[in-house]
Amino acid sequence: MLLDDKRLVITGVLNDSSIAYSVARLAQQQGAQIVLTGFGRGMRITERIAQRLPEPVDVLELDVTDDSHLERVAGSVGDRWGGLDGVVHAIGFAPDSAIGGGFLQTPWADVATALHVSTYSLAALGRTFAPLLAAGGGGSIVGLDFDAAVAWPAYDWMGVAKAGLESCCRYLARDLGAQGTRVNLVAAGPLRTIAARSIAGFDSYQHVWEKRAPLGWDTGDPEPVARVVCALLSDWTPAITGEVVHADGGVHAMGADVR
Amino acid sequence: MSSAVYDKVKELLIDKFGVSEDEVSPEATFSDLDLDSLDLVEFALAAEEEMGVRISDEEAEQLDTLDDTVKLLEKKGATVEGAG
Repeated sequence: MLLDDKRLVITGVLNDSSIAYSVARLAQQQGAQIVLTGFGRGMRITERIAQRLPEPVDVLELDVTDDSHLERVAGSVGDRWGGLDGVVHAIGFAPDSAIGGGFLQTPWADVATALHVSTYSLAALGRTFAPLLAAGGGGSIVGLDFDAAVAWPAYDWMGVAKAGLESCCRYLARDLGAQGTRVNLVAAGPLRTIAARSIAGFDSYQHVWEKRAPLGWDTGDPEPVARVVCALLSDWTPAITGEVVHADGGVHAMGADVR
Repeated sequence: MSSAVYDKVKELLIDKFGVSEDEVSPEATFSDLDLDSLDLVEFALAAEEEMGVRISDEEAEQLDTLDDTVKLLEKKGATVEGAG
C-alpha cells in the first residue's frame, strides 16, 4: 500500500470534517501508523474523534507556540518509534481583528499571533522533528495552504500568513534537503471545515470555485486534498520539495470563469 | 418539558460541560449556558455517541435553545438506552 510502515505525526484534526481527519483516515487505510496532536480546548474533541478512525490512535497535546510542548511531543514520538517518516502541518489561527475585514486596523500583536501560529509553526515543527525524520531516512513534511498568490475577500492577515507559509516551506526545504527531508504544501480549494466556518467571507470563495474550477469542486469533501497530502507523504514523490501543489479543481490556473 | 432525550441532553451538559443543574431549562440557549462554537462541536459528537444520531457541523452551529436541540435530536430518531 501507498504508506506501508510509514510513521506519521498528524496535527490539526479537530472533528471529522477536518482535512487532517481525512488524511489520518486515508493514511491508516494505506498502511501508516499515526499519532495525532491536539490543542487547548479542542483536545477533548480530537480525543473523541481519534476513537472513530479505522484504528483508534493516541492524541498528544501540542501548542506549537510552546517550545516545551514541541520537545515533549518529539520525546514521546522518539520513545514510541525511534524515527519518523512524515509530519502533517494543518495549523492556522488568526485573532478576530486579523481576519474577516478591517485589514488596515489590525494591531501588530494580533498579526504577530497569526504569523506565530500559522507561519512560524511550520519551521518550528521542522526543527523539532528534523532529527527523528533524519533517523527515519529523510521523510516528508506536508502543510495545508490556501493560495496566497492573490488577495481574497476577508482572508486578510491569514492570507499574509499563508504567503509566509509558502515562503517558509521553500526555506525549510532548503535547510532540510541535505538530510533527505522533503517539505511541501497543498493549496486546497475552500472546504467547509470548522476552521473555514469561522471565516466571514467563505461564501464568496465558494462562488468563485463554482464558476472557475474546470474540474468542479465540492466544498463538503476534503478527500481530494487528503489524497494529495498522502501522495506527498509517500515514496512516490521523491524529487518534489519546496513545492505548492494545488488541489483546487484547477482554479489557480484559470484567468476567467469557465461556466 | 420532560423526555428521555431531554434528560440525556441535560445529563450531558451537567456531566461533560460543567453546566450547573439549575441553569438547565428548555428555554435556555447554549450561549446562556456559556457554551461557544467549539463546545457545540463537542456536544454534537457527544450526542452522536450517546444517542446514535448525527448532528452536522451546520446544524451544530445553529443550535439555539435546549428545546430546539431536543426536537432536532428526536426528529433524527435519537434513542436513549434504558428509556421506554
